[in-house]
Amino acid sequence: MSDFAIGLASNIGMLAFVALSAYLLLISGSISFGQQAYFGLGAYAAGIATALWDWPLMVALGFGALIGGLGGGLVGLLTRKLHGLYFAIATLAFAEMTRIALDLWHYQRMVDGEFVGPDGPNGFNGIRRAFEDGWDPATFMLLIWALLAVTLLALILFERSRAGVTLRATGEDPVLTRLLGADVARLRVTTAAVAGAIAGLGGGLYAHLNTYIEPRLFDIMLGVHALAYGLIGGLGTALGPLIGVLIDIGILESTSLFQGWRMIAFGGLVAVLLIWRPRGLLDEPTVRRLRALLARPARHA
Amino acid sequence: MLEIADIVTAYGKIEALKGVSLSVAAGHITCLLGPNGAGKTTLMYTIAGILKPRRGSVRLNGTELVGQRADHIVSSGIALVPENRLVFPQMSVEENLAAGAYLRRDTADVATDKEKLLARFPVLKERRAQAAGTLSGGEQQMLAVARALMSRPKLLMMDEPSMGLAPLVVAEIFRIVEELNRDGITIFMVEQNAHMALKVAHKFFLMEQGKVTFAGAPGEVAQDDVIHRAYLGSMKVT
Amino acid sequence: MIADALQTLLNGLAAGAAYALLGVGFTLMFGVMRRLNLSYGATLMFGGYLGALLMAKAGDALPDGLLAVLAAIVTVAGAALAGLYVERLCFAPLRDRSGVAAMVSSFAVWMQIEALASLLLPRHTNPYPAPLDLAPLHLGALTLRAEHLLTFAVAALLAVLLHRLLSASRFGLALRTLSDSTAAAQTVGIDARRITLLAFLLASALGGVGAWLVLVADQQVTPMFGMWSTAKGLIAMMLGGLGSIPGAVIGGLLLGLVEATGQALFGPQVRELIAYGLLFVVLVARPGGIFGRATVDLDAAARERL
Repeated sequence: MSDFAIGLASNIGMLAFVALSAYLLLISGSISFGQQAYFGLGAYAAGIATALWDWPLMVALGFGALIGGLGGGLVGLLTRKLHGLYFAIATLAFAEMTRIALDLWHYQRMVDGEFVGPDGPNGFNGIRRAFEDGWDPATFMLLIWALLAVTLLALILFERSRAGVTLRATGEDPVLTRLLGADVARLRVTTAAVAGAIAGLGGGLYAHLNTYIEPRLFDIMLGVHALAYGLIGGLGTALGPLIGVLIDIGILESTSLFQGWRMIAFGGLVAVLLIWRPRGLLDEPTVRRLRALLARPARHA
Repeated sequence: MLEIADIVTAYGKIEALKGVSLSVAAGHITCLLGPNGAGKTTLMYTIAGILKPRRGSVRLNGTELVGQRADHIVSSGIALVPENRLVFPQMSVEENLAAGAYLRRDTADVATDKEKLLARFPVLKERRAQAAGTLSGGEQQMLAVARALMSRPKLLMMDEPSMGLAPLVVAEIFRIVEELNRDGITIFMVEQNAHMALKVAHKFFLMEQGKVTFAGAPGEVAQDDVIHRAYLGSMKVT
Repeated sequence: MIADALQTLLNGLAAGAAYALLGVGFTLMFGVMRRLNLSYGATLMFGGYLGALLMAKAGDALPDGLLAVLAAIVTVAGAALAGLYVERLCFAPLRDRSGVAAMVSSFAVWMQIEALASLLLPRHTNPYPAPLDLAPLHLGALTLRAEHLLTFAVAALLAVLLHRLLSASRFGLALRTLSDSTAAAQTVGIDARRITLLAFLLASALGGVGAWLVLVADQQVTPMFGMWSTAKGLIAMMLGGLGSIPGAVIGGLLLGLVEATGQALFGPQVRELIAYGLLFVVLVARPGGIFGRATVDLDAAARERL
């Protein structure tokens, strides 16, 4: 596999984490413009863990997910009574606060004779643990996809479980769900925490692959893109956001000739797609139909 | 005046109206009774053009209304007093009335009508500058009726006017309905309170599960049976 | 000390007046659609870029005064045109369907507009014509820049005009009914589609003027303007209470004051942090903004359902 393809595959994998993060909240009925904050927090946390505190890579990745989860849970807790757009704007405000705070934060330590650590707007250089441990771009890509596969599997299983169905019901009709006894507020906070953790895991991976991160990366663009992936690929299944990422990055690479016009064409395509399919390609009705189709051969066998 | 033929209206895959036919005679008070969920409000919204039917026809004095926009239907002379009043809560009583006359261009007459209606509903006159959301249920109902009247309708449709109101207020509302009818306004009313409705109706229809199952005039049929079915739907007695 | 504070107040109010216009534009759109137009700032940027383009292509040939007037017209018209495009593509087709889809669609158009702007004017900073070359007015220790006066005057004028439009015209009545209760508005025969389109045009034009005021003070337009004006307008709207026009005005002024104070005390970056922090705190503590409307109480809503 060429270097280019490896890089591409890695990017797709990492973006999928933040897309899944936004997706999870979407199906529970919450629009979040701010998942990039937990991606960033996870990146910084995991980077600090390995570069400054000398922790093992896997532990650091877990730590990144933990910090992402704590951030998500905190915001989820504070905003649990907010609905619709109020919630969306609150997540955006928090994400921007996080980004600006990272811009102002300096935390450096002397490691092996040089200063390492977050340096405000100058970013955080030297997150080399992965490569020092012997990972190379190809094997790291496999790591990314292995973790992504586990996450996807967990989400797909979750969606079929009782808790998952309740979550979707909350998204469609929170009042009814409350009448049926579900503790909607607690479900929302838990979902926010898990979504934050997923984003945080992706962030940690990002930090270690690129070895350099800066606050500017974790801006609203990333956040709304994360939402868009789910909406394009489809909200009917956890595979939807992944497909959304594939479409976006796929088009990005295949039309590199028309640099300036790519975004104009792609933006227009997205707008038209959403008129036709407001809940994405793999929306709930499509997924149901596909499941029915796939179930039929088994019955005939 | 109003001929409804074989109307089918659906929400996605669910057919709320499965082929409804009825007629409203000019000058009469016609009531539509039936249990909850029968589709009565859906029918009202379909006639008013807010919902589009899958098929069927609605003719007002011979003119087909299906396919027209809601504002066109209002200017054809049909006004709707919606379920739950649906006043404009943050706007004053006066502004609510002004909104009712939105499609009219004869400003001088609109002003006269407004004063006339305020005189007819003194409670509203008292509170003319008050925000509509702060009025009591009964007052809001009167406001909703007055607002509908501001468009000088030939046909007034009322969706559950007695809902949520105290008996005295309900009696008042029905008194107003009879008064309006005496002044020449045709009234088509959906009502849960079959007892009161049968007192004022010239003709009534019974709707159950998206279809009209019975038509008649009060006095022709045993009241108790009708009222029973209006609240509970047809029940098989074993 | 007092002079410094007064100067900060002045600067803050001037910036706030522009933010107020942006916030009002957002609010008008939100009022009729109950959705956020994420491309709002981008449409204003588009207008600004047209003005800068005019300057780049014809700046030498035209006298300054004429150039400035033409740029203003082109900016407001460009914003309105872009707003029309967004309404037709992103919001009208999804009227009765998914709100998230409409908002993400408007974000896609934001991307489109930014790409188009970069194609038109590839440089980062693009000069924008300013109409006044007057020296600042000094009142004692206070400095009153010409742009400040212009901003106050224009914003005040627009506020009065808008108020008259909303309270005394037929269109204003229709707008307010749609914002108050879309369902009820339909029953009195108000054409929601047409009014929404007109509201969009009005909001874009208002925003265009607000953008013009800022660009005239900055004398340049950059690709960051889209994001910047979206953020300011959004915060102004939310601070004052989603859907309230007077709220958006107060929210905008408040934002301007908070930013100016923050900048004076802590510097430009903390200023941004404070602005977002204020927004977050207001949302969490009093989500309806200063002219608040309550949050959803699920249990109460459930009881009502029964």
